[in-house]
Amino acid sequence: MNPDRQVGCSPPARPSRFASLSPVMVASWSIEETESHRKSRTRAMWYRSLRWLTLIKGSAAPAVGAPPPKKELQPLPMTPLEKMLMELGPIREDGSDKFFGMENFGNTCYCNSILQCLYYSVPFREAVLNYPKRTPIESLEAALAKALRYQDPNARQEAEALAEKQKAANPPRPGQPPNPQQKPEDKDSPEYKKKIALQTLPLLETANNSDSYAMAESLFTSMKDIFESVVGSQSRIGIIRPQHFLDVLRREHEMFRTAMHQDAHEFLNLLLNAVVTNVEDAAKEPSPEKLLPAAESSESLQPSSSSGLKTPNTTRWVHELFEGLLTSETQCLACEKVSQRDEVFLDLSVDLEQHSSVTSCLRKFSAEETLCEKNKFHCDNCGGLQEAEKRMKIKRLPRILALHLKRFKYTEDLQRLQKLFHRVVYPYHLRLFNTTDDAEDPDRLYELYAVVVHIGGGPYHGHYVAIIKTQDRGWLLFDDEMVEPVDKNYVRNFFGDKPGLACAYVLFYQETTMEAMMKEQEQENMEPPAEANPFTTKQNGYPHSPALAHVHSASQIPVPEEHDRFTGLKRAPTAPQLSTHYEHADSENPVSPPPVQTPIISLPPVPPIPETPTSPLVSRKSDLQSKKERAKEEKERKAREEKERKEKEKQRRKAVEAEFKENQRRDEANLKAALEASKATKEDEDRRNHKENGSAKKPAGGLGRFRSFSQRINKDKESRHSLPPIPSLPNGDQSSSKVSIEQGQSEILRKPVSQPPSQPLSPPLGGQVAHSSPPEAPTPPAQPEQQESIKNSRHDRSSGHGKWRSFSLRKKSFNILSS
Amino acid sequence: MFVLPPPPPRYTVPVAYAAGASNGMAVPIVETNNIITHPENGCPLQVGEGTYQLQDDLHLATPPPHPSEAPIINPNPLATNPAPPTSGVKLSLVSLGPRNKTAFPSKLNVTAPPFGDGNSTLAPIPAKDASKKRKPKNNIIKSSSSFVSRVIIHEATTKRLNDRDPEGLFAFANINRAFQWLDLSSKVKDEPLSKILFTKAHMICHDVNEISKSSSHIDVVMGSSAGDIFWYEPISQKYARINKNGVINNSPVTHIKWIPGSENFFMAAHENGQLVVYDKEKEDALFTTELPHGSTESVKPSSRSLQVLKSVNSQNQKTNPVAVWKLANQKISQFAFSPDQRHLAVVLEDGSLRLLDYLQEEVLDVFRSYYGGFTCLCWSPDGKYIVTGGQDDLVTIWSLPERKIIARCQGHDSWVSAVAFDPWRCDERTYRIGSVGDDCNLLLWDFSVGMLHRPKAHHQASARHRSSLIASSSQQINRRRADSAGNRMRSDSQMTAADSEAVPDQPIQHPVESRSRTALLPPIMSKSVGEDPICWLGFQEDSIMTSSLEGHIRTWDRPRENISDNYGDHNSSAALGTSVGSNPAASSRGSL
Repeated sequence: MNPDRQVGCSPPARPSRFASLSPVMVASWSIEETESHRKSRTRAMWYRSLRWLTLIKGSAAPAVGAPPPKKELQPLPMTPLEKMLMELGPIREDGSDKFFGMENFGNTCYCNSILQCLYYSVPFREAVLNYPKRTPIESLEAALAKALRYQDPNARQEAEALAEKQKAANPPRPGQPPNPQQKPEDKDSPEYKKKIALQTLPLLETANNSDSYAMAESLFTSMKDIFESVVGSQSRIGIIRPQHFLDVLRREHEMFRTAMHQDAHEFLNLLLNAVVTNVEDAAKEPSPEKLLPAAESSESLQPSSSSGLKTPNTTRWVHELFEGLLTSETQCLACEKVSQRDEVFLDLSVDLEQHSSVTSCLRKFSAEETLCEKNKFHCDNCGGLQEAEKRMKIKRLPRILALHLKRFKYTEDLQRLQKLFHRVVYPYHLRLFNTTDDAEDPDRLYELYAVVVHIGGGPYHGHYVAIIKTQDRGWLLFDDEMVEPVDKNYVRNFFGDKPGLACAYVLFYQETTMEAMMKEQEQENMEPPAEANPFTTKQNGYPHSPALAHVHSASQIPVPEEHDRFTGLKRAPTAPQLSTHYEHADSENPVSPPPVQTPIISLPPVPPIPETPTSPLVSRKSDLQSKKERAKEEKERKAREEKERKEKEKQRRKAVEAEFKENQRRDEANLKAALEASKATKEDEDRRNHKENGSAKKPAGGLGRFRSFSQRINKDKESRHSLPPIPSLPNGDQSSSKVSIEQGQSEILRKPVSQPPSQPLSPPLGGQVAHSSPPEAPTPPAQPEQQESIKNSRHDRSSGHGKWRSFSLRKKSFNILSS
Repeated sequence: MFVLPPPPPRYTVPVAYAAGASNGMAVPIVETNNIITHPENGCPLQVGEGTYQLQDDLHLATPPPHPSEAPIINPNPLATNPAPPTSGVKLSLVSLGPRNKTAFPSKLNVTAPPFGDGNSTLAPIPAKDASKKRKPKNNIIKSSSSFVSRVIIHEATTKRLNDRDPEGLFAFANINRAFQWLDLSSKVKDEPLSKILFTKAHMICHDVNEISKSSSHIDVVMGSSAGDIFWYEPISQKYARINKNGVINNSPVTHIKWIPGSENFFMAAHENGQLVVYDKEKEDALFTTELPHGSTESVKPSSRSLQVLKSVNSQNQKTNPVAVWKLANQKISQFAFSPDQRHLAVVLEDGSLRLLDYLQEEVLDVFRSYYGGFTCLCWSPDGKYIVTGGQDDLVTIWSLPERKIIARCQGHDSWVSAVAFDPWRCDERTYRIGSVGDDCNLLLWDFSVGMLHRPKAHHQASARHRSSLIASSSQQINRRRADSAGNRMRSDSQMTAADSEAVPDQPIQHPVESRSRTALLPPIMSKSVGEDPICWLGFQEDSIMTSSLEGHIRTWDRPRENISDNYGDHNSSAALGTSVGSNPAASSRGSL
């Protein structure tokens, strides 16, 4: 394999704006170019073959007929993204259907791809937007008016002409037949698309807006600026210029000052840590401009170590989203004593093996490791270095699991890092096997929502792109300035076995529920209703090419269905234990067998009365008649059998239901008992909490709380780790009324996690069904665990610079790149 | 003279070549021969009953690309045009000799009525000469089909067919755009009896009809990546095309099987989530959905799991399709008919296992994977268990009578690609399962009903679960007895018109069982058998066979002693099952 053949960006900084666009395509397409040249010597032939070329390339850029040879500019064909967006309704207020590319300022694709991944994490985006508060809409709009720059339509023309000139200046390659007309640029190449995007889409400049939310300028504030401007912008598509963000990054972190290629995972880790620090720093210096939240947070800061105890409006939110807890259990082989140590992580780095899966990499991560020879373990119990067995397991599962696949491995003989092109498969959904026995919700379901792909032969150069599943618009490819909807299967092109040196590098999994998953699966690959928007599709004279259907995939959810969708999501919190209880959704259904037939269970199988209407017998006349009769008899018999079968089936169902009921009753009893037990604790804690921060009344949200509850019963207080809900919502009284309206809207769109639990979400459930949720309804809101957070914060400090490490398999291996 | 550029191909070019090139495999330029090797160190599989010795490794030759469809290697790794589906090598095995299977269970009563029984329009037309099977119409050698590019017939095919052991095994194998007919009992088994080279599409699944086979007739159906289906009779080298140009369903065929007991009907799973029953002898017709009595069907709650777009009871049976059922908007990975021919189990990419009463056209139960899609499944020989493999790296055992998960088997390092029961090592109590996966490994599992451990039942953390666990397991036994009895008693009759109007019962949706409540089974053997992902596994009376993505067909001979003496063997395997079961279970508990 030729490692550097197709490398995206070469190390030196590029003078031009387009410099970083990967030349990957250029070389290759020109090969094709020559081929077609050979084939077609005349202009007419040329165009035919060109059309053919466009055709076979399929849907990426639907052919709009052969480009005429005239010089003047054609109206640009719509990009796939624009096509997709045509059918959307009004712009949402929460920013979930804004699709902005990001300009590359020379090898800054690592930053662009990570920022995009974070933006499309709903809870993260909400948290960033709302912490400490939103910029008042007026000032944001004022800033945006300056920042959003629509393109001058002539600019493209000029640029085109310029490019043409440059091209003409280049002498034709030897061996190539002289071509009177330069081939128009390949409309499918990413460079071309990016160029066009830059020329046509509105550019969004971000400015430092940190004053408006009373924080010192930092990485966090500049990221918040980006997020806010995107959410606030009038346009649905465009290009962000993260210049300001990069300035701050380069000012604060020396490593990123060069225009060199950087490691995206390292950047992610740095960014998350920076956000933690920035947010915590800001909370520490109470500023007079701060309104309520400031007062609150400074108040709660009094017990200095309790920073982890705050309500959603506090600094803990990064922790609550990305942070998990690892327990390393070390068993001394001499005295067999097991010692435990807990460590927090923001992401997990896993070693790779050829032909493996993410599941297996994670299992290997937790596999037992023997500490021996140089690496002996100091046992406190028997004193001295001993051989020991060590394993690392996940004790608290993060809500967003960032998985770093260690594709860059140091090889001794080459004395440098090498990229591993192992085939590592990743499923769309994931659960973790390597949890501790006492972990909360060990069966938590994750869904893949973003993949950062590294393209290139080695760690020191290349290109990053992100493929992200947006909330309900399907998967999109974010390649710097270019944003393109892609098929769901596209996500699987980056296992590492496909040509082109593109491999998944960082995977983002976010928690989800069975119900949400099934809902989504149902929507996937739905044929867009033809009548949904009959005229808009034709409006621009570009008929919807059927080949394009795949591109839209889940993104083409017809608008009216969105209601269903969201109500469905809203319901999720009612049955938080979806994995075990969702069957009830069905038993509520009116179509399920009517309860009238319940007694059947106790009755012995009754000889069934034939169901088929027996027509009165006509006197038999012929053989034919008797044959008919026989047929009828046969039919009756069959009907009887059928009925029997049905009955059996019903009985079976009954039995299943009964068993379920039984289980539930037991569960309920357990729950009740536990409830009693926890009530006391709850009150206790509530009181304590009240004292510590005046806002214990927060409507602690959905799933995390329920989840934590379900396991809490079996746990002693110390080991509890509740996951307080995402902290995003400012209370209505804290923000201007405008914002709160916005909030209300976004709340509907938000994932179920942020639903207030008190809402009567499910329709009244009958009988056996009813008790599945009520016991959970009065559960105490999740209480951040004091001891734990103290421990955490202590640990935090001890691990130097307050920086969170990302964990690698061997405890010593931090990211090698950083050394 | 100008050379006209080729017309735009209807089917995109297979990706396999491009992928091969990137993996360092040379794209073949000329037609090459299959190579048979006997690896020196072998690849012995050591299990309790003895050692399986690798007999040979037959590497099927990847054909060169068709000249008209030279692989366009798009160097842009981010190109968004979808790649057509492709598949590794899969085998369909058939022996023409009289069936003398001694495997467990020795005899299975099939009481189910044949599919489509009761619909008079589907009644087979009595043949003039019953002994003479109807052959497809077209001669493949003289074919002018744009689909068949070339057929290479071994020069001594007739002689080889006459001289061979009638009980020897034939194999049909797809590799890339080629389809090979191999005689595995031959001394020159690397030389295919015939080889068809297709253009425009790959054959990705195929099946041989067990009912209609004879020494002069073999019915093979193949499904292609373009959706088209081929009915092929190798002995006379005749063929017919079904679903031509995707007229009935234009999405790729992911799995294809003859309906058990039928000479004519076969079922194809299409990637768009439809199961279609075709008749090999009927002509195609443009298919329009037939919803009974208006479109009430689409609002029925059961339509979530199964939507009957055309019922087998439809009176319109002059043309294909015979029946069309839509299961989901998701890819159907595989399906399998139960040994008693009453049930159909289907696994999908959305991670659901659906149990159908296909005679009644209804879904009975829906199970979910732990996570990720399901990829493969099979039935136990006695029809009591279904085993699935999936993208959660797990092999999962489900009980049909209990309608619940029995155990999860953990041991693969990547997605599982095929599972199979070894009927020669199964009895009433113990079952042998084999599985292969993308991790290049072959794993064997022994599972007996009594030996299953629940991994965390002893642990205090799940005290709440434990109580329900114990209860449910004791309940199980009772329920099982009752249920299996009920199951046996249950009889099927075909749907009458009145029945089809009745609202079908809703399928039971089974929730995902948590890990702490499910038994975890370790493998008894795990062995890396190749360098490339394994995609098919088969058990024969005297061997285990696997085939891989790049065309390696490996055959292991069974340990000698256990072929004849069946009785003692079963005892020993039962004993083995328990002893093996206890140890790894203990270790797995330790690691949890």
